[in-house]
Amino acid sequence: MSSRRVVVTGIGLVSPLGHTPEDFFANLMAAKSGVRHLEADFVSELGCKVAAWIDDFDPLKYFSKSQAATMDRATQFAVVASSHAIENAGLELSVESGERIGVYVGTGMGGAQSIEDSYARLFREQANRLKPYTVLMGMNNAASAQVALDFGLMGSNITFCAACASSAVSIGEAVRQIRHGYADVMLAGGTESLLTYGTIKAWEALRTLANEDVGLAGASCKPFSLNRTGLVLGEGAAMFVLEEMDRAIARGAYIYGEIIGYGSSNDSSHITQPSIEGQARAMRKALEDAKVSPNMISYINAHGTGTKLNDAVETAAIKQIFGIDTPSVSSTKSMHGHLMGAAAAVEFAACLMAIKKQALPPTAHLLERDPELDLDYIPNAGRENVDVDVVMSNSFAFGGTSGVLIVRKFSY
Amino acid sequence: MDTFEVLKKIIADKFEKPIDIITLNSTLETLEIDSLDTFDIIFEAEEKFGINVPNEEVAITTVGDVVALIDRIRAKNK
Repeated sequence: MSSRRVVVTGIGLVSPLGHTPEDFFANLMAAKSGVRHLEADFVSELGCKVAAWIDDFDPLKYFSKSQAATMDRATQFAVVASSHAIENAGLELSVESGERIGVYVGTGMGGAQSIEDSYARLFREQANRLKPYTVLMGMNNAASAQVALDFGLMGSNITFCAACASSAVSIGEAVRQIRHGYADVMLAGGTESLLTYGTIKAWEALRTLANEDVGLAGASCKPFSLNRTGLVLGEGAAMFVLEEMDRAIARGAYIYGEIIGYGSSNDSSHITQPSIEGQARAMRKALEDAKVSPNMISYINAHGTGTKLNDAVETAAIKQIFGIDTPSVSSTKSMHGHLMGAAAAVEFAACLMAIKKQALPPTAHLLERDPELDLDYIPNAGRENVDVDVVMSNSFAFGGTSGVLIVRKFSY
Repeated sequence: MDTFEVLKKIIADKFEKPIDIITLNSTLETLEIDSLDTFDIIFEAEEKFGINVPNEEVAITTVGDVVALIDRIRAKNK
């Protein structure tokens, strides 16, 4: 039996650069940054005061007051992004179809906000009791569970936790669910909302966060540039409707692309330091899975965090796989920040839209390229009217886990 | 503080219900309040009245049942 093919028919976003795929991609093409000064009561205590945070998300637009009060912000993002994706795909849900639809969500820290609120209550306010919903809001699988509940999806439901690669893995594993016949449709992606005092402090301690750009806060994350100083945290969610190809064609759905390759591996070398071999291994596995040669890749959406080490290692790993004929590479994290568990998913949305629009989003704030890094990083300006056929999306996590996805413009 | 008046306010506010529809005889089910939500209501009442409702097997069907439970603890604490 030939393998079942998997296509993407819906994109749902809650992002620092817009909540529709069209807005999101238009902002990327315009090199607009979602990074800005964080507004919170603890900002004065932070070293890094910028983040790609969402200021126009009103939970009461989507949930009743009592529902909203029992969901972490990360769960709210995931449910709303899922709703957008289902609507975008024109997917009709029924009890019958729900049996064959699963939900895979990637998240780095799940209900971080709820956990932190509860600790603040216990340790700072000296309360001796917590709210009854604390466990249910804080648990890592809260988002995937809530999506299943709200939309009646009874297939496999798993939360993937692989730090910055979480949602590459959730999407890749969801592809396998459909390929191997366990499901016909999967809602897959990632969510993250970790812009809390404790989490930001913890990231600061790792010395990976960017220094704020003195002149322009939005330009603080500068992947591949000589003066890059680190990553900028972001928040949001992206969810996709993945569908078995024949089913999508039969109902006349718009197809953003076909997911043809997925590679997942672990560096097994260091808890934070990326390895050239490890990153190359994941890209190689994805290419093998996709059965395409490296020269067929039109564009790579890099992990591109903007840390000294990542950008150098990733560049070297790309060169190891692609040789001298490397495709264009960009890091959209320069604009939407690093969404951790949702990062790969948001970047996958950028890849799908690059195929749809036949255009490549830039790496913003790349005024002076690091002379050691010599690829085409699509500096500062998006490119229109480009032939975008096969796209690779890289995600490399703390803990050494890599997730690489390959998506192709759909043709039957 | 009258227990019923306080509870009515908690329920109306939390679940966005018109306060007048909440009576002692209203079942929690008709108000679309499940067992988890009931814990949540009791939690708020505990905070308001400065009491601690122990884990007991008490059958709670109506708003009146919650009022009776809380009144019992309040009376004990006097």
